Amino acid sequence: MTESETQEAKEVVATSKPSRSSRLYVQSGPLLAWTIIYSILGAVIFALASLIPMPFVMAWLFRFGIVPATAVIAVAGAIRGPVAGFLTGYLGTLIYDMISAGVVVTMTVPAAAWGILGLIVGLTRYDFTKGRSLAKLSVMSVVAYVVALVILLLIGLRVEIYPTLAAMVFFLVPMLTAGIPSVFLLSPIYARAWYIFTVKARPSQLVP
Amino acid sequence: MDSRLLECSVRGVYLAFLQKNKFFVCAVAATIVLTGMTFGNLPGPATQTGVQVVNGVVYNFADYPALNHEQLGIFNYLDHLVVDQSYGSWDGWYAENFHGLLHYILAFLTYISSGMFETTPGYRTDYYREFAWGLLQRMNTSESEWNDTSIEYLEWNHPDYKYNQYWYPNAESPNVTVDVYTGGFRGPANIMWTGHYGLMEALYERNFNTGETFNELTWFINDWNNSLTTDGRGNPQAGGIWKIGLIPCEPYIAFVNCNSIPMFATYLYDDMYATDFQHIWDYGLNFSNKVAQDEYGLFANGYYVQQPLGYQQPTQGAEQPFPGNAIDRQSGDGSPSVSGYIEAWALMFLEPIQSNETIHDYPIFLDVYGRDISGDRFCILGNYRHPETYGVTDMLANFYAMPLANQRGDLVTGQRIRNFLYSNFNKIWSADGRRMWYDATSLIPFLQAPLSAAWLWGTTPKVIRDLFDARPTEFWDYPYISHANDSSIWVYQATWDSTKSAFILNVGVDQTATLSFSNFGHQPKAYAGGALYQDLTLAISGEYALTLTPGTYQIVII
Repeated sequence: MTESETQEAKEVVATSKPSRSSRLYVQSGPLLAWTIIYSILGAVIFALASLIPMPFVMAWLFRFGIVPATAVIAVAGAIRGPVAGFLTGYLGTLIYDMISAGVVVTMTVPAAAWGILGLIVGLTRYDFTKGRSLAKLSVMSVVAYVVALVILLLIGLRVEIYPTLAAMVFFLVPMLTAGIPSVFLLSPIYARAWYIFTVKARPSQLVP
Repeated sequence: MDSRLLECSVRGVYLAFLQKNKFFVCAVAATIVLTGMTFGNLPGPATQTGVQVVNGVVYNFADYPALNHEQLGIFNYLDHLVVDQSYGSWDGWYAENFHGLLHYILAFLTYISSGMFETTPGYRTDYYREFAWGLLQRMNTSESEWNDTSIEYLEWNHPDYKYNQYWYPNAESPNVTVDVYTGGFRGPANIMWTGHYGLMEALYERNFNTGETFNELTWFINDWNNSLTTDGRGNPQAGGIWKIGLIPCEPYIAFVNCNSIPMFATYLYDDMYATDFQHIWDYGLNFSNKVAQDEYGLFANGYYVQQPLGYQQPTQGAEQPFPGNAIDRQSGDGSPSVSGYIEAWALMFLEPIQSNETIHDYPIFLDVYGRDISGDRFCILGNYRHPETYGVTDMLANFYAMPLANQRGDLVTGQRIRNFLYSNFNKIWSADGRRMWYDATSLIPFLQAPLSAAWLWGTTPKVIRDLFDARPTEFWDYPYISHANDSSIWVYQATWDSTKSAFILNVGVDQTATLSFSNFGHQPKAYAGGALYQDLTLAISGEYALTLTPGTYQIVII
């Protein structure tokens, strides 16, 4: 790719203001195909990242550490819109559950909760060249993550019916304390990394 | 270009980049800092295995059972608690508010460590034997010697328990010509101690074959025989003293899980000493499978043989029948009381005796008591009738479910339960790098030793079922490590392969250490990587010694 093409691609991303409906990336056959490809790729990356044991430190009930996988869902939504975000979280969780344990949990409803994380992040548009927009992505990722956890908690307490105390001690508190910093910090890093990679490798994908 | 100009230009580019990417740079920096500060609790290293060909014979180390570094670290931690202080001291056990559970930990540490010993049966130095002996001695600490730090006091005579002498059936004003004295601390009424103590003794003999506990164990076997097949005075009576074929504890309520322990001990005793006592449990087994059941065909949480002293009926709902299954007092509908840890415990220890029952009930147990937390996490409820509550007994249900899953070959469920339990605790290594434990001091300190031991139980390749049979007679003639610098080595694999007549040794060495082998009938040679590594040297004691410098070795000794 020539330097002028790269610059052109950057300008396209920086200045484009598409309509709300175009954020779904499903208006045409090629767009839908690319959205599905992005979703599958995102789901596979999420599942693989989830399989890697990550370091952490516990301080009472609070778990501290980086969880790289969750931010993949958020960034999939940020890059390719709510449909890709939802599918990345949903399919990625299903793939991970099948690989790691061979189970489908509660009729895939928890997987859908992770999908909602990507969906919420994908509802708005981001400019990965600007710090303010990356900060918006971080905030949106945190909001979406908390929503996903609340849904998961409700599923646990109302559908699976496991103990409230166990849900708090072994699930909600550690997930919040490890997950919020992770999605807040990693979402903009992933997004920027994807942007840099795409500008060099496939600038046409930057065109909305 | 002038070098200063170039330097300024580069600096300017960097500054411009930083200015334009403040948030991104801050996020990267914060991620690096956070990752660095929270770098811990990663899975421990797997035990290295390999294939060696010695004199044309192939030795694949992956074919032999192995322990890993963390399992041995946890054992060292438990050994420190058991052996490195007097039998009446309980520093580090955090059992002040759980004195009635302490003897259970001692018993289950015996069962857990026995699985470990069975994994490396060729490593039988005093290090392992003294641990098992220490557990036995602690279990049997008497009030006369150790006062209020003895198990006799903590488990039986503590003021928390109102009664410690029992008669049957007339408990309150017994007639010695009609009623049977069912004993105190060491009597039948305390099956929750005698059963465990008996099995601890049986396993000690199975593992170390010293004969030290044979007489006392035989006394318990005879006592159970008397309780289960006679009216207590030697007159034959179906179902024994209590007519259910089980021995109650607390003391007028019988639990299947508590009885599964002396059952296991009796079967093992029969196998070790060629006796035939196991049939004393036939009536009780049948009773457990037919009567002491809940609506799912799982074991109920207790069967009352008569009304206990001081028993209060529920103020609302169904009354407790006597005799009858203990009812769930909160439900009020008379349904049997249930317990996840009792079920998992009983299914595990009864599997070698009635494997069809456990194989049939295990999936039902998971279905009724299990809950999906997520795809990779699974928890067991303490009580499926009241899933909203959570406490120590719920933790115990998970502790027992892990080795049960392991025993059933359900490794995925075992891993999911471990993911649920252990993701909330830090692994701590001692400063000398020899001991590891899971830190539970911030939650329930008492759980620290059980939590650490349960990890060992849930991951050791040899399970309770593997301890059910006596070792073959020829086993005691196989070469084994009889002495070693135990505090400097990590024995991952130590097995005599009787078909290939070779000793398989996989060992880590911290400081130069000597391992002495007994039962070799010739001067053995040690091979590493398929090549001759060392001729073992003959010591005055008749043992052959292998000296190893720091490192990790996979050695075949022929």
